[in-house]
Amino acid sequence: MDREKKLREKARELLESKEVDLVIGYGWTRYGKRVAPVFITRPEDVDRLIWNPMCVNNLTLYITRKYPDVKAMGRPAVVVKGCDAKTVNVLIQEGQLKREDVVLLGIPCEGVVYRQELYDGEVTKENVSPKCVVCDVKNPPLYDHLIGEKVEEGSGFEGARNIYQEIEELDKKPEGERWAFWMEHFERCIRCYACRQICPLCYCERCIAEKNMPQWIDTSAHGRGNVAWNLKRAMDLAGRCVFCGECERACPVNIPLNLINQKLSMVVEESFNHRPGYESEGHPPLIVYSLEDREDFIR
Amino acid sequence: MAQQVVTVMENIYLPHLMVIQDVIEETPDTKTLRLHFKDEALREGFTFRAGQFGEYSVFGVGECTFCIASSPTRKGYIECSFRKVGRVTSALADLDVGDVIGFRGPYGNSFPIEDMKGKNILFIGGGIGLPPLRSLIWNCLDLREEFKDITILYGARSVADLVYKRELAHWEERPDVHLVKTVDPGGETPDWDGEVGFVPTILEKMAPSPENTYVVTCGPPIMIKFVLQSLGHLGFSDDQVITTLENKMKCGLGKCGRCNIGDVYICKEGPVFTAAQVKKMYRDF
Amino acid sequence: MIIKRNDLKRLVEDLIGQGKRVIAPIMRMGLVEYGEIGSFDDITWDYINPRNSFKEFLFPQTEAIARYRIGKKDVELEGVIPELRETIVLGSRPCDAASTASLRSVFTWGAEEDPSRFRDDFYLMREGVTTVMTIACLKGDEDCFCTTVGLTPESPEGSDILLKETVRGNFAVTPVTERGKAFVEEWRDYITDEREDLKEIEYPEVLEGIDTGKIGARLSDVDVFDDPVWQEVARKCIGCGACTFSCPTCHCFDIVDEATGYEGERRKNWDACQFEYFTLHASGHNPRDTQFKRWRNRFLCKFHIYPTKFTSTGCVGCGRCIRVCPVALDIREVMEWLSR
Repeated sequence: MDREKKLREKARELLESKEVDLVIGYGWTRYGKRVAPVFITRPEDVDRLIWNPMCVNNLTLYITRKYPDVKAMGRPAVVVKGCDAKTVNVLIQEGQLKREDVVLLGIPCEGVVYRQELYDGEVTKENVSPKCVVCDVKNPPLYDHLIGEKVEEGSGFEGARNIYQEIEELDKKPEGERWAFWMEHFERCIRCYACRQICPLCYCERCIAEKNMPQWIDTSAHGRGNVAWNLKRAMDLAGRCVFCGECERACPVNIPLNLINQKLSMVVEESFNHRPGYESEGHPPLIVYSLEDREDFIR
Repeated sequence: MAQQVVTVMENIYLPHLMVIQDVIEETPDTKTLRLHFKDEALREGFTFRAGQFGEYSVFGVGECTFCIASSPTRKGYIECSFRKVGRVTSALADLDVGDVIGFRGPYGNSFPIEDMKGKNILFIGGGIGLPPLRSLIWNCLDLREEFKDITILYGARSVADLVYKRELAHWEERPDVHLVKTVDPGGETPDWDGEVGFVPTILEKMAPSPENTYVVTCGPPIMIKFVLQSLGHLGFSDDQVITTLENKMKCGLGKCGRCNIGDVYICKEGPVFTAAQVKKMYRDF
Repeated sequence: MIIKRNDLKRLVEDLIGQGKRVIAPIMRMGLVEYGEIGSFDDITWDYINPRNSFKEFLFPQTEAIARYRIGKKDVELEGVIPELRETIVLGSRPCDAASTASLRSVFTWGAEEDPSRFRDDFYLMREGVTTVMTIACLKGDEDCFCTTVGLTPESPEGSDILLKETVRGNFAVTPVTERGKAFVEEWRDYITDEREDLKEIEYPEVLEGIDTGKIGARLSDVDVFDDPVWQEVARKCIGCGACTFSCPTCHCFDIVDEATGYEGERRKNWDACQFEYFTLHASGHNPRDTQFKRWRNRFLCKFHIYPTKFTSTGCVGCGRCIRVCPVALDIREVMEWLSR
């Protein structure tokens, strides 16, 4: 594929010129047919880099402070889709990253699959990731090198399930039913924290789930602890989540985390006219106070 | 399945209730609790060996692992000493005489006291590493005639950080114990009458003979590391040197899976090891 | 011996009618998982291996071990005795059934010397009321590797009864243990002595270049533990507990207190060696302070600690850790490296 070739060329160039010490991209695993993050440090290894609709991971995860080992490898270049690039904007806004600390290899993307195992050579309205259905960043809003030509914006997945419609439908249900819906999901949570660990914006040095003086959240995987954990995480991402969809993808028990995170995004957009990830200036609205903030939540 | 049919359930995680008999403030952040079993039969029947540990719990807060700091020769009670650093130790530190806590134990192996009989014993402790040694020190002192020279080298960061001050004074006075106490440079007070210097430095100055001697040491990892080096210089073999390790533990019984150093479970196969054993371990600490 | 599908249905409905807990693969939220069924028709038959192992029915993710009331100067304490219900696991896979040996060996480690101290009866009592009826796999998926770790899609280890599907859609019944024999005897009316041809069982390919004996031997070498390659293999690991919680042999747990006001419970909860806080000392020191060390620990546990300490297999090749990993960290790649 053309983009793949260009990606490898660019990676080689960056590594050979020592502009970067490593390239974080996608590559095949040894067994099976899976795509995984790869860390390329030598120009002769760039052919391991690939690009296809199974490249789902948001690789900006590895340039957060959660990965001191990766940081120790030197200056990174990261392959980013549009949605992933939005994460970089938020990380910059939150003081986690300086723009010049990373080289972004932006890849125009026409949609990835929801889960790798669903891929059968083509992205369809059945297997597409829900974020791609409502995508408006097929071309990364932020990059240093664009890999290949830009593509036309707009969704090509008519008829696929639309997350905003799903949220609307859920919102129409009576409160008791909505509560029951979420309880059924949260009760299945196994507290593996894959949602948190895969999230590039969950970078707290000590997560509240692990703070025990006092114990804010029960660590037991029972209803009470699970609800507390899932709601707390959703609240922490409100106004920050860029809908990369990684938490829902990583969840081993299929909790529809996109629904809750995008619901909160909608609330924040409505209240503060803010959509995270589109710019690196300013601050997420929930961490700053402004005289213009609406106060209609105080009744 | 059903390899073994359980008729009477044993709840290995169920603690015994213990009443706090005494609280001794050792340093601003270290306390010793004297505990006795609520259950009278246990009070009489409970036995342990020096070097073993237990899980102490504050109900509603959680469990915490420390060695038993009192000697097995002293019946009817046990003591533990701890520094207030986390959730459970903070809660323990808030308790008072008469309060009830939980205790599970004794767990783990113990110091090879039988092998030590007839030998010189050199204890080397640092900071909060003295409590496990204290159990053995009193055990030896209570059977004093069975051992040859008993030497205690104990150091802490500062005078304020020395634990068991009353006992240090007592050991100092005893003619049958040789106590050397030291504080790190800068940790001394104007009236300090001990040595000033790091434990390994003082040890090399003391230059004990390795002949017919067992060394028992416990302290912060960095101290242990240099103490082992110094002992090597002084001609001690790794089989003569015994230490006790600690790691994060929950069950204390070899089940919960977190205290292993490589393939060695500290709770079940330790906590007491010879320096020779420690050197063979995976570098997982 | 053959049990016809319809008789299996009668059997299951009878068991449920007797108030017994029947665990079988069911479909929930788009996933096949082991769960308690209310009727035979709840069972999903189209599955390779459920997303969870059935260990959670022997060793629940969270369970109370003691309860207490805290008074002014006293504590009332009571040990919890687990509520036991006779349980039948129908449709276990041979890999999962084999994994119970690993759990048992940990939960009884030391019990020979002192059962009152080292026998975890929460596990053992549940095991004592559980009958495992395994259904041999007809095929695996690309992540199954039981044959590489010494098992097969029709291994009987750990099962009480092994069922194999016949070409007519019924099941050939082989009792494996005494318990299985007694069970078959009890339900003999539903089982015929007919013979039917078995459906063909397709074995997963034995992965060339992987040798668990060699892996174990290399892991015994302290220097291999220090090999910088560990850092490379586990670099992408995100440190979640998806692999350990899905793994049928992972047994680590935490003990926590949960109290409201003056009463509370002490609970035993699944924990994972992949979590940063798993080994963190209160002093701030952490012996496994980076993710590769935690990942290395899990691998060492499976392929060295288990085989040398517990004489049982720590990895049964179910492939769950591979399927569930959000960053496609494939344990087989590391097995291959260590087989060299």
